[in-house]
Parts: sequence; C-alpha cells; structure tokens
Amino acid sequence: MDADRIRAHLDPIRHEFADPRSLVMPALKFAQTEKGHLTREDMAAVAEATGYSPSFIESVASFYDRLYTRPVGNRVVSVCVTLSCMLRGADEVWDALCEHEGVDHHHGGTSADGRITIQEAQCLGYCDKGACIQVDAEETKGPYTPEEAVKLVEELREAPTPAELWR
Amino acid sequence: MPILNSVYRHREAGRPLTELAAYREAGGYKALESVLGETDADDLQYAFVRSGLRGRGGAGFPMGRKASFLPKDSRLPKYVVCNADESEPGTFKDREIMEMNPFQLLEGLTLAGYAIGAVRGYIYIRGEYEHQARVLDAAVRAAREAGFLGKDLLRSGFDYDITVYRGAGAYICGEETALLESLEGKRGQPRLKPPFPAVAGLYGSPTLINNVETLTALPPIVTRGADWYAALGPEKSPGTKLFSISGHVVRPGNYEIVLGDTTLRELIFEHAGGLREGRRVKAVWVGGSSVPVIGEEHLDTPLDYESLQGIGTALGSGGCIVMDDSGCIVRACLRLASFYRHESCGKCSPCREGTSWFERILQRMVDGDGRMEDFELLESLFRRVSGKTLCPLADGAIAPIRSAIKLFRDDFIRVCQEGSPRPEPMLPASVG
Repeated sequence: MDADRIRAHLDPIRHEFADPRSLVMPALKFAQTEKGHLTREDMAAVAEATGYSPSFIESVASFYDRLYTRPVGNRVVSVCVTLSCMLRGADEVWDALCEHEGVDHHHGGTSADGRITIQEAQCLGYCDKGACIQVDAEETKGPYTPEEAVKLVEELREAPTPAELWR
Repeated sequence: MPILNSVYRHREAGRPLTELAAYREAGGYKALESVLGETDADDLQYAFVRSGLRGRGGAGFPMGRKASFLPKDSRLPKYVVCNADESEPGTFKDREIMEMNPFQLLEGLTLAGYAIGAVRGYIYIRGEYEHQARVLDAAVRAAREAGFLGKDLLRSGFDYDITVYRGAGAYICGEETALLESLEGKRGQPRLKPPFPAVAGLYGSPTLINNVETLTALPPIVTRGADWYAALGPEKSPGTKLFSISGHVVRPGNYEIVLGDTTLRELIFEHAGGLREGRRVKAVWVGGSSVPVIGEEHLDTPLDYESLQGIGTALGSGGCIVMDDSGCIVRACLRLASFYRHESCGKCSPCREGTSWFERILQRMVDGDGRMEDFELLESLFRRVSGKTLCPLADGAIAPIRSAIKLFRDDFIRVCQEGSPRPEPMLPASVG
C-alpha cells in the first residue's frame, strides 16, 4: 500500500492524538488490509506516512500477533486453544483442521493452495461458545465440532476474499 | 441468590441496546444530563468513592480513590482510558457489554471524564474484538450526533470526545502501562512504576484507567445514588459483578450477581446449569486463569472479594473456568503455562525465561517423562521469578500452577510416572 493512501486514512483521526506516534498502529492495521500481511514496502510506506523510521515501524509490527510480517493465506482461521475451549474440544477441532488443510499439527500453517491459514489463538473471549473459531478478526463463532469446523473452512475456500482484510 | 440484572441495562431490559433511542428508553443518558452543569466534578468523584465500586478488571482497586489520585492543578490535559483489552482466559463479560450495551459504556466513560476534568476518553479494545469495536464506532458517531460527545456537551461548557483504539493481539496490553505504551504507538511492554498513570500516564499526562465493566457501572450509580449501590452486598466491596462462567458447565455464559450473595456452588449448579450427568467438580479457576485454583471443598464460598481471598484465591476478573473430574489438572496447567509463555512480552528476563521453563517441565510431565526433582525445580523457579518482574504477568502464570501442585499433588505424581493421555472433551452434542 502506498503512503498517500495511508495518509488519507489517517487524516480524519490525526487530531484525536496528542502525539502522532499513536497513528502507527492504525496505519499498520490499515496497510495490512490490502494484502493480508505487511511487506517491507508496506512498512516503509507506514514509516513515510507517519514520519517514523522503518526500523521503528518494524519493531512495532513484529510485536503484535495480529500484524503479520510474513505472507499468510487468503483467510486466516484462528482456533482458540486456551483452557475453556480446550475443555470443550478445541484440540480435536485443531487436529481436524490441520489434517484437512495438510499443515503441521504443532504450528499450524498455510494450505498448499494458499487459501487458508490455520493458526492457534490464545483466549478469544468467546469461552461461552467454546470451541470457538475466528475468521480473520471479523467473525468469531462457536461451538464447533471438528466436522463443523472442516465444513467452515471448505466454505471459506469457495467464498470470495473480502476486499479489505482486517486481521 | 437470584440474578439481579440491575446495573447493566441491557440485562435489565433483556435485549441489546445498540441503538441510541433504545438506550434512552431504558433510562440512558439520564445520569449525564443530571450531572453536567449541575454537579461539581469533585462531588461526582466523591459519589464514586462512596459507592464503594472496585475496579472490575482484575486488581479490584477502589475506582473513586483511583480517580482522586489525579492531580487537581495539573497544567497537562487529563485523559480517561477504558481498558477493553479483555484477554484473561475465561473472561468475556466486557465483550457482552460492548456488543449489547455500548452507550452505557460511553456514558460511564463520559461521567468519569467529567469527574476528573478530562479532555478525551480512549477505549483501548483488543484487536480480536473487531466486531465489538465497530459497534462502539457506530455508538460514538450516534452519541456525537446527539450532542452527548463533542464540544459543549448539553450546553454545559464541557468538551469531551471518545476515541476507539484497536490493539493487535497481545494479552500484555491489558496491563495498564503496557496498554499506554501500545496506545502511544509502541510495542506493548509495561513501564516501571512509579510514576503511576494517575500522575504520568498517556503522553505523560495524568490518566485514569478503568475496565469496561467498572465504567459501565457509573451511570446507575449516579441515577440511583451511591448509597443504593453501596447497600448492595458486603460493606467493604459492594455492588454487582458479571461472572463469566465456562468450561465443563451445561449453560456457560455471563451472570450478574450481587457480590457476597451467591455461592460458587449456586453459580455453577443453579445459574450455569451444573455439570454433565455423573460428573463432579474437579477444579475451578474462579477469577480468570491468573488466580490460584480451588477444588470441590470450596464450592460453598460466597462470591465476593474478601471471601475468595479468605480461601486463598481471588475474584480477579470474574472469569470462572470449571473443570469436572473428566479433565486432567496437569494438562490444564500445561495449557495455561503455554498461554503465559506465549504472552510474556519478553521485557523482563525472569518472566521470559521462567514461563518457557514452566511450559517445558509441565510438557514432559504430561508426556510421562516427569521426574520427582521437577517439583523442586518448579518451586525454585517460582521463587526466582515471582516478584522480580515489572508487571504481574509472571505471578499470574505461577499462581495457577503452584496452587494446583499443592492441591492435586497425587495427580501430578501419577502423571509424572504414567503421562496423561488426552481426555475426552465435552462436545456440543454431549450437552443435554
């Protein structure tokens, strides 16, 4: 994403912060919506739009789980594996999804066709709906059985990718 | 005993109040209208003190007293920050408030801002709550159009606006100084305290930080009076509390109870529908995962700050996780250890290194490769990590493991020798 587009996104909210550094996070999150992850060029554009050094921008981006500095799939499927969901079958859901997408059962990963990334998530705050799954950052649902979870990723694989990827 | 549903208006109304008109109908913004230009800011602060409301995020610090710590004569602008980074395992009460009742939070945040003379309120919401952030965005726009936010609120001369700020996936940003760092556009790592945020918080300015549930309780405290709130439940820490209950219970969900009025047994068996047929309670993390675990023998403890402290645990965030006797306590500890290892921000080496070791040792126990020396090793690690870090994350990692080893030592010894195969989970279909 180019710096002008990022600047245009930031202009309406600039006055809300006494220090412009607060714009770094909104800028990174917005820059990520284009490709679903942040490339070196994206981070350089954020640096240009906010006036901070590229190394500072990368240091911020690399800290947060939901800012991806490496390519991920068209859709990111987060399986909550923390205690409440574990008691409700999250490990079974996780195994079924890793198996179905052919990714590593320990770390998760992106399917060979590049459509789906399966990742572990720490408590998503939907413990009443465990085992829960979040698609990108927009929709969280549950409870899922392993079979329903597989059906969900199959539907996601066929569905068009959203124009903006909020993760 | 019964559910009260009197403080959080969507619960009282029994429906979502996401439209401003619906919130107004349910009594919304009456508190702000009665206060603006009528009540002195100091009197409002004093009302918060008298209500006895304690912080509902986990630490339980009295809300009014925290507000009184902000300097009165500061030349710097003051801020209120709402901590909506709800990430404590087992806790989902703030999510419900934000998605069902966003205006009551905005009204509470505005009241808090008026009480301390703030220029702006920020809601720092975890990145995973994008849906809830959008609900809040829409609510802020509607409140602004109606004159409840912006310049000269209700022609009182008070200027105040609210910004919704999204995080990007980091448990540590629920710690107040890490939250401020993140809100300032940096890596979310805790600061050395003092200075406390009340003196030097956001952008070095005096800042009041409160949890979603705390701020949302303020409008009814104003309309019904501090004395009404203070009369609910025990004298020392009154009020109602949202308990999020999850795990091996039939009806997981949020339940608003009067503190001290309901026992843990009633919460689990009456409100949350109890356990599956033939199961018994094995372990309960009553205040989120960062508190010491308790067993069946404490089920008759009333749910309030003092009683829970009295049995060696804490009310924390009210995220109550229940595990029945089908679960394995060592596996549960391992899962929590993995959580803290993942979420340690890495700033303090005792936490960064320690949380990895907790996970590794518990993993080998679960694999059946545990050794008797591991108990001593864990205890010596706890001693070297506890209290030696900038923030309470490491202590939060230690509390559930240390207490579990004490309470369920026999299980740990058995698992060390035999390992622990994955137990059958409670699947949606197996609920009656």
